[in-house]
Amino acid sequence: MLEIKNLHARVEGKDILKGLDFSVGAGQVHAIMGPNGSGKSTLAHVLAGREGYEVTEGSVRFDGQDLLALPPEERACLGVFLGFQYPVEIPGVSNLTLLKAALNARRKRNGQPEIDPADFLAWVRDRAKLVKIDPKMLSRGVNEGFSGGEKKRNEILQMLVLEPRLMILDETDSGLDIDALKIVSDGINAMRSPQRATLLVTHYQRLLDYVQPDRVHVLARGHIVRSGGPELARELEARGYGWLEAA
Amino acid sequence: MSAAYQQAFERFSGTLDRGDRDRRQARFERFAGAGFPGPHEERWRYTDISGLAAREFALPAAADIDLGETLLAGCDHLVYVNGYLDRTRSTAAALHGVAAAEGPDDDGIAALNAAFDGGGLQLRLASGETLPRPLNVVAAIAAPSAPGMVHQRHRIELGENSQATVVFQFAGRGGERLATQRVEIRLAPGARLMLYRVEDEAAGGTLLSTIQASLARASTLRAVTVDCGGGLARHDFNIALDGAGAEAALAGLYRPQAGGHVDNHAQVVHAAPHCRSRMLFRGIVDARTRAVLNGRVVVQPGAQKTDSEQRIANLLLSPRAEVDAKPELEIYADDVKCAHGATVGRIDETALGYLRSRGIDAGQARALLLRAFAGEVLARIGLPALRAALNARLGFPAEEPIEP
Ligand SMILES: Nc1ncnc2c1ncn2[C@@H]1O[C@H](COP(=O)(O)OP(=O)(O)OP(=O)(O)O)[C@@H](O)[C@H]1O
Ligand SMILES: [Mg+2]
Repeated sequence: MLEIKNLHARVEGKDILKGLDFSVGAGQVHAIMGPNGSGKSTLAHVLAGREGYEVTEGSVRFDGQDLLALPPEERACLGVFLGFQYPVEIPGVSNLTLLKAALNARRKRNGQPEIDPADFLAWVRDRAKLVKIDPKMLSRGVNEGFSGGEKKRNEILQMLVLEPRLMILDETDSGLDIDALKIVSDGINAMRSPQRATLLVTHYQRLLDYVQPDRVHVLARGHIVRSGGPELARELEARGYGWLEAA
Repeated sequence: MSAAYQQAFERFSGTLDRGDRDRRQARFERFAGAGFPGPHEERWRYTDISGLAAREFALPAAADIDLGETLLAGCDHLVYVNGYLDRTRSTAAALHGVAAAEGPDDDGIAALNAAFDGGGLQLRLASGETLPRPLNVVAAIAAPSAPGMVHQRHRIELGENSQATVVFQFAGRGGERLATQRVEIRLAPGARLMLYRVEDEAAGGTLLSTIQASLARASTLRAVTVDCGGGLARHDFNIALDGAGAEAALAGLYRPQAGGHVDNHAQVVHAAPHCRSRMLFRGIVDARTRAVLNGRVVVQPGAQKTDSEQRIANLLLSPRAEVDAKPELEIYADDVKCAHGATVGRIDETALGYLRSRGIDAGQARALLLRAFAGEVLARIGLPALRAALNARLGFPAEEPIEP
């Protein structure tokens, strides 16, 4: 579903990703781990198409299509979703406005009419229940005044509403209390299906206890230094990254 | 000064009775003596209208134009086209009148306006009276075949504890034009006025507007101004808080269209104690447009317990866009609370990227962010028809009435 080949990327003239190769098949969950500053968020942003990230070499295919050739909004409409490590606050643009515009953008692309306002509200309310967000909060500006944990749950809510096919979650588990971690994990699991793929960027085994990955990749200094099964994450938890970086 | 002004005045004054003619003759002479202000004057530094003196404007003939959706639903209307009252469209024609302008004139523009004043709204409410529906005053100018000018003067006098909502819309439709609009407002103790002033002057047109408001004890003026035209507009909005406990809240949005030049000079004078004033301006400025904002608060001696705040924020849409925004504060009393600030920023690229990552195309994402920025001002518009019309005119997505 997602094929990354020899991916090199640069930010502000600095080479961050130095040749990544891996593929995520439909229905799979891959975890990306690695020390701070190793390039995990950079990878996530490159996949989502954020401006300012220059791909200098390599390719990314999503369902066979050249993802890198598309602007971010088209990638999103194709089904790519990035849960941000640092969700953005947008005062004056309500969460509902964002959700509705995002849903309608997809529908427009698929030649469908705009969603009926009543159906929209019913759908959002239903999804909000899953992540225990009070729908009243959704009239506020995007993430405006949300606590750190609320922002992360809001990312999951957007994912649940938009139903993407490739979910890239960048440290969505960081800063969550135990109950919220369970809620977020349930949200991710609710989306798992044979037609979808998931990329989980995380520092913690705890999330992987809830959302079992098929593969774990360790990123260090812009390279994947080790890939393995779920047991690799447990080994990292016990031993840290030092032994891999030295290798 | 071109001879055309003199010729236009002779033609115009020939239709008047003796007393009126003499009064206006004096005003015209004052205009001829003072002329238009020039860029050497501090208040006119960024807006040079001295070229108007050489132009050859005539008073246009009556005309009929398609006002489209300019007229606001749910309001009474007083409609002027080329300065002439349009009786068929005016449900409030009874409020039209010409009042002998009171002097002295502040400058040549005021004198010019008084000399040629073709009349306008004359609204007087008795004590305790409430205007049943908002009043929509439309002053439209058709694109004249020859350079034309229109001058109007309006007056709003609200008696004690009376209330009214008035919407002025000034619109020009192209061609070479000069319009001066003057609104005089007197609020008696406890009176409340909600005032809207919308300017949509097309390229080629010059609009000079002046609003003079004087507020007695415990009266309230709330005003929202919006500039969205492509012509040259200069607005002077002067508010005098003359009675204790008076309150003025002025919010303005300016987004000149390509080629447009908008200059807002707003001034609040605290002349009495315990008054409150708020000024909030938001500007969206692109390349090939020019915006000027001068906000001034004066606290006179004795105006203790003044509470005033002035906030100006501008968004530049292009590296070549320019704005001159300046808050000024003059304080001659010691027990006061005055805050002011002006900012100039750019569109939040991080927010833009976030919206795009959700599938919203760049154009719509920008429009949503601009609407959010303008929202602080537009949200104060209590007339849904006006808000919707302005949203559309400003290129913002319609507000969706969604409640969770
Ligand atoms: N806009 C930028 N300008 C300059 N350097 C950047 C920029 N964005 C990222 N970097 C650098 O790229 C490197 C990788 O950053 P990235 O955010 O991808 O790390 P990460 O693996 O996600 O780390 P963390 O675990 O702390 O989230 C870091 O050294 C960072 O400083
Ligand atoms: Mg990161």
